[in-house]
Amino acid sequence: MTDQSGLSRAQVFLLYFVLTAAIASGIAIFSSASTITKMLQTATDGLFLPILLSLIAAFLLDPLVQFFEGEKIGRTGSIFIVYFLLSMLILLLLLSIGSPNWEGMMQALKADFPRYLGRAIEYLNGLLMKAQEHFPFVKDYDLPEKMRQSAETFLGLILIHTPKSAMRIGSLFLLVPLFSFFFLRDSRWLMRGLISLTPNRYFEMVLDIYDHVSWQLTHFIRGRILEALIIGIVVWMGLSLTDIRYAPILGVVAGVTNLVPYIGPIIGMIPGLLIALVDLGMGGQFWWILCVYLLIAQVILDNFILIPILISRVSNLHPLLVILAIVMGGKLYGVLGMIIGVPIVSIINIIILEIRQYRRTFNPHTQIISERNKVT
Amino acid sequence: MNPFWSNIFRGSGYEDTLAYFLSTVPVFSKLKKRELNFLETIVHVRNYQKDEVIFEEGDIGSGMYAIRSGQVVIYTRDEHDRETEETVLESGDFFGEVALTASRPRIASARTTEQTVLVGLFRSDMLEAVRKHPSGAANILLGLTRVISDRLHHSQMLIHELKRQQTGSDREHNQP
Repeated sequence: MTDQSGLSRAQVFLLYFVLTAAIASGIAIFSSASTITKMLQTATDGLFLPILLSLIAAFLLDPLVQFFEGEKIGRTGSIFIVYFLLSMLILLLLLSIGSPNWEGMMQALKADFPRYLGRAIEYLNGLLMKAQEHFPFVKDYDLPEKMRQSAETFLGLILIHTPKSAMRIGSLFLLVPLFSFFFLRDSRWLMRGLISLTPNRYFEMVLDIYDHVSWQLTHFIRGRILEALIIGIVVWMGLSLTDIRYAPILGVVAGVTNLVPYIGPIIGMIPGLLIALVDLGMGGQFWWILCVYLLIAQVILDNFILIPILISRVSNLHPLLVILAIVMGGKLYGVLGMIIGVPIVSIINIIILEIRQYRRTFNPHTQIISERNKVT
Repeated sequence: MNPFWSNIFRGSGYEDTLAYFLSTVPVFSKLKKRELNFLETIVHVRNYQKDEVIFEEGDIGSGMYAIRSGQVVIYTRDEHDRETEETVLESGDFFGEVALTASRPRIASARTTEQTVLVGLFRSDMLEAVRKHPSGAANILLGLTRVISDRLHHSQMLIHELKRQQTGSDREHNQP
């Protein structure tokens, strides 16, 4: 037997031992890694959102900063100029229009939410009754009750988290400008430091690839944010023409959910349609709101104008990947993870595509061999 | 000048700074102090061990190197993988400058022969400099153009000379 398999008893024993040791050490590394990640998670818990927001702010402000930066004005100076102009603009807007009453709106929404939900469940019940007439087997399925339960837990979650997040918003006003200032000023220096860690042999390649990737990424991220902003504003404007309440909040929801392709816009549409249905009924205004959401915001603005201009086709993701990203993001970071999961996967996708592109265009060996044959 | 005064005006150890070193490299010799200080922020200083390969023939080049200290040998390989030493460069020399303006495969390989410190200037940083500090970048590129056109001129003369010799020897062959 040993001759056939080519292994002596000692070798088998050694193999067995090595495999066991490998598995054991693997488990040990995994468990220690998981405690480390847990520690990291608790340490960075409250920082995730401010860092994300300040990164977004830095990406948006970077072109402005570059506009002012030049021979005479340094980077720090130009960042201060941009900050000053921005705060002036916000102040002017607040003075001329007056801030939208966010807090009052939140309070009202908190009161109204159960009402909307109750009506929606009633409506669903009616539908179900009708369905049960035709398909009796649906009766076993207690859908409304299940939905009520999940909605109530969701409401409880919102109620618990709102005071906490009010505190958080206060700290955001302090942290985001501070963080984005440092991101704007030192990002180049930071990246240089990171790149300089690469071994000498690969340094040039890494520098080149980094250059390509960062160019693509800046455009992608800026495009996505601008797209969400424009969609949000358009939905807000469109809804303001009707009698619907909470138009600003609905605009924000539509803009943010628009970051998730395919599924996002539909999810973003649901609260607006629900409120319209309950408050305004199935009138002309409901159809106008549907039109704003679907035709104006999605089809005309997003598909025909924004996506072709702002976002290159390169970063298109396969729908399956989108769904996977949403599910995984949701598992990791909840609702926030669902929203940013897809952009992060697109970023990884862009990085991989760029590296592949770089290697394909400059396949060094074939080029040098062909050139040498020409010479000799 | 009195050494006492020259010391005061030169500032402490200016000759040890990267900016001073860059001003000694021929490509950057015409730059002003301000532009040198700017150049200092976009170059990368890399440390190499003895016998480390800097780039191989056929790699995609993305920039030039100046030797701050140490020694670099430039060599090519023929089809049987035998190395031919082209030249040996010392501190203050520079190489690979053609790749700064366009990504082309390197036409020779470079390797260190002792512990070496190289100062690299790469295309991506250069492009950023063109955007942000156009006049400084223009001076750097002008210096580069001057060096390259000098070399072109030199090789043109060499070709001319070789051609003349060729026709001369041809005539000698035809005479008898």
